[in-house]
Amino acid sequence: MNGFLVAKFLSFITGIVSLSMIWPILWAHFDGSGEVRSLVISMILGLTFSGLLFVAGRHHTDYKTVGIRDAFAVVSLSWIFASVVGALPYYIYGMAPAYTDAFFEAMSGFTTTGASILTDIEAHPKSLLFWRGLTHWIGGMGIIVLSLAILPFIGVGGVHLFKAEVPGFGLEKMTPRLHQMAIRLWGIYFGLTAAQVILLLLGGMNLFEALTHSFSTIATGGLSPLNKSIGHYNSPYIEWVTTFFMFFSGVNFVIHYRFLLRQSGAYRDDEEFRLYAFIVLFSILFTAAVLLLRGYYVTIEEAVRYSAFQVISIITSTGFCTTDYELWPVSVHFLFILLMFAGGCTGSTAGGIKSLRVLALARHVRAGLASCLHPQGQFQTKIRGKTVSQDALASVTAFFILYLVVFIAGALFMAALGVDFVTAVSSAAASIGNTGPGFGTVGPTENFFHIPAAGKWVLSLLMLLGRLELYTMILLFSPRTWKK
Amino acid sequence: MHLPVIFKVLSLLSAIVSLSMVLPLGWSLWDGSSDGKAFLLSISAGLIFSAVLFMAGKNADYNDIGVKDGFLVVSLSWIFASLIGALPFYISGTIPTFAGAFFESASGFTTTGASVLSDIEAVPRGILFWRSLTHWLGGMGIIVLSLAILPFLGVGGMELFKAEVPGPIPEKITPRIQQTALYLWGVYAFLTVAETVLLLLGGMNLFESLTHTFGTVATGGFSPLNRSVGQYGSAYFDWIITVFMFLSGINFVLHYRLLRGHFRPLARDDEFRTYLWIVLFCIAVISADLLFRGNYDSIAEALRYSAFQVVSIITTTGFATADFELWPSFTQLILLLLMFAGACAGSTGGGMKILRLLILSRHTRAELKRVLHPHAVISVKVGGKVIDTRIQSSVTSFLILYVAVFIAGVFFMTSLGMDMESAMSGVAASLGNVGPGLGSLGPMDNYSAVPEAGKWLFSLLMLMGRLELYTVLLLFFPGTWRK
Repeated sequence: MNGFLVAKFLSFITGIVSLSMIWPILWAHFDGSGEVRSLVISMILGLTFSGLLFVAGRHHTDYKTVGIRDAFAVVSLSWIFASVVGALPYYIYGMAPAYTDAFFEAMSGFTTTGASILTDIEAHPKSLLFWRGLTHWIGGMGIIVLSLAILPFIGVGGVHLFKAEVPGFGLEKMTPRLHQMAIRLWGIYFGLTAAQVILLLLGGMNLFEALTHSFSTIATGGLSPLNKSIGHYNSPYIEWVTTFFMFFSGVNFVIHYRFLLRQSGAYRDDEEFRLYAFIVLFSILFTAAVLLLRGYYVTIEEAVRYSAFQVISIITSTGFCTTDYELWPVSVHFLFILLMFAGGCTGSTAGGIKSLRVLALARHVRAGLASCLHPQGQFQTKIRGKTVSQDALASVTAFFILYLVVFIAGALFMAALGVDFVTAVSSAAASIGNTGPGFGTVGPTENFFHIPAAGKWVLSLLMLLGRLELYTMILLFSPRTWKK
Repeated sequence: MHLPVIFKVLSLLSAIVSLSMVLPLGWSLWDGSSDGKAFLLSISAGLIFSAVLFMAGKNADYNDIGVKDGFLVVSLSWIFASLIGALPFYISGTIPTFAGAFFESASGFTTTGASVLSDIEAVPRGILFWRSLTHWLGGMGIIVLSLAILPFLGVGGMELFKAEVPGPIPEKITPRIQQTALYLWGVYAFLTVAETVLLLLGGMNLFESLTHTFGTVATGGFSPLNRSVGQYGSAYFDWIITVFMFLSGINFVLHYRLLRGHFRPLARDDEFRTYLWIVLFCIAVISADLLFRGNYDSIAEALRYSAFQVVSIITTTGFATADFELWPSFTQLILLLLMFAGACAGSTGGGMKILRLLILSRHTRAELKRVLHPHAVISVKVGGKVIDTRIQSSVTSFLILYVAVFIAGVFFMTSLGMDMESAMSGVAASLGNVGPGLGSLGPMDNYSAVPEAGKWLFSLLMLMGRLELYTVLLLFFPGTWRK
């Protein structure tokens, strides 16, 4: 571990996060209504902090020496530092009564979880709500990917950083050069955001809400500046536009890129995309059928619209809602919890276990059954026509086990704090999956304010574990990482 | 696939199950109760069925049993045993619907212990004895029983044994399968006699001692009393049963070695040590939680009740001395997790088994090491032995299947309108062969209100859990039926 190097990287990251507060400040200025003081103070504090880190790491200049262990430390700590700095405006303004609440809100923002502690969202200044949306947008594509895109001098050393932040197994590179790849990913991200903003503006939404909702959608975050989330508008047009963009934000960005390069069949030929689309379609049809049968909606159009919005919002781990689905039947609740675990595609902004891993696990089981029948046979697991190596399979199964273990530990901790069964289980699942709302007392129309402080810290940790796909964070706690 | 030999083995098993009804018949004749006729009818029906199967397979050669036949015979014999075992409940009118009777019988043979009876004490003793006897027959395994008493099964018996006792790492006491089966049943009989005697010494009557012992040693959970073991309110009975439940959750191979005077294998066994630590840890945590939240006043009481419940759930027995639904949600969540964990491989307990959890955790640890050292060769060891990648991958796919079956089960039950907590715990309890769950299926409730379709599904889950998934799932796998 190279302490100087870690300090220097962290200085860049906190610098970037602090400087990005300029946008809500500009917004407040342009709007003429907002709260600027807390943001300016936070920015100054953040930059001071960044300066101190820079001084601490000043002796270091060679970025090529970033090793695996440095990368774990840099990436985990960057996200923690970003949240520490990002929480300042909420705390200084007093939007969150305790620093715990402010940190929870910031972590929920950066990890694109979308769980909130705010009871009356609309009562708060727009500049802070803008910052809340912006944390989603910065975290969605990844803080490290962002810095790789804007700091070309990191160069080769960025490989380990990139892998530690985007560990999705089987993730291909678009271009051999990391800096270029980061720029392209951000390009697609930016393009999707711009497209959604325009479509929402055309639907009659004002610029502020169009921007914050788009940040939230493309990053699959879920924080909305409105109390009733997207349900506030009661407009099929806005709901369908949002549904559409949530769905595409849950798709691997490399595939979007291929599609933009006019590779016909970029979507159709990808096994992961096909599984994702199949799960989404099946869930929408199941939910719509149950809702119609039980008489929740009268017309097919309404049942499909509401179930499509909710299903896609959950599977992409966004967490927007257009209705209180806690009132829906229990079988749908259970389906939604499963979707929280499943998540979107690798290389997307969505959380959860990811479709590609689900696919690999399913094929692995099929090979296992076949080898029961033919104990001497050799069976291979194939994805996209290529054999998945034993090592890759072992890493996917270990990921699945770790995911279950972390989820169980989180749920146990919440239950130990005295939270009821359904709330404990669903808040842990929703945090590790970066979804946001759960069931019980943290449902879509409720918030996390009443959760005990210790619970908020644990849920924040779960969000970060989920966002960085476990390994990076878990290894940070492993004594081996810190050995010389 | 060799159909004749399948028929022949099934015929023998049906005969064994039918003939064992002679014992409860004895109780009902002694009591002069009305259920004697039901037993006579059931025995005749079972024997006729067995004879028909025998005719269908009379020319079979036992050495023909292959891998696929093994899976088929074992799955079908458990289904047939449950069908025949359900007859007395249905014919005597104790359980009005056949779905209910089958559920009770499957729950008995798979040593689950979930019941559809609301007032157990109103049922004649013959029926209650049969209910507990199904536990005892199923506990060590119907196939293992027949291997022990039918020496002519010979080499073909190996495939059957593997399909019924599919533990992650194959283990045999002796090279000869019949002898292994005999030794296992010897240990089982020894534990049964020991517990019966100790319960009799505590003043329990013979009928209740026997039925409770069957329920304990098989880790079943049926009790002839409405309030289960809790009805006695006796610390002596609670602790005796706790100890025997714990013992029944240990690998019987270790018991065998212990009875022959070898203490070392037990003390050095990785799985046993983990099992012991989990049990002690959970008892400590739950006692603390119960004392802290004021459910009990004295440490002795908190320990006694938490020890009984923890051991009852982790060994997947399902006896209860307290209504743990009134306990804090933290404790309930721990108990729910223990339903998944289960006891040691090679014991009568259900669940995923500690050995598998051990392999899974070592597998994961090795993987974390590999991330830090991408080029290192890291092996996974349990008990000093290297677990090869083949076994590791069969254990990981077992976990995935277990989770997948659990999910499918909960999905089905919630679609029938069951609430989330009952559905999740009921499915976990059926798949893990525990018995009682939480919510509307708690230790003081029963399964009678579950819709018919749900009872069939629960029965299927119990069978899947008892045979550790693969054997039953392969019946639904197209590859099995391909030539």
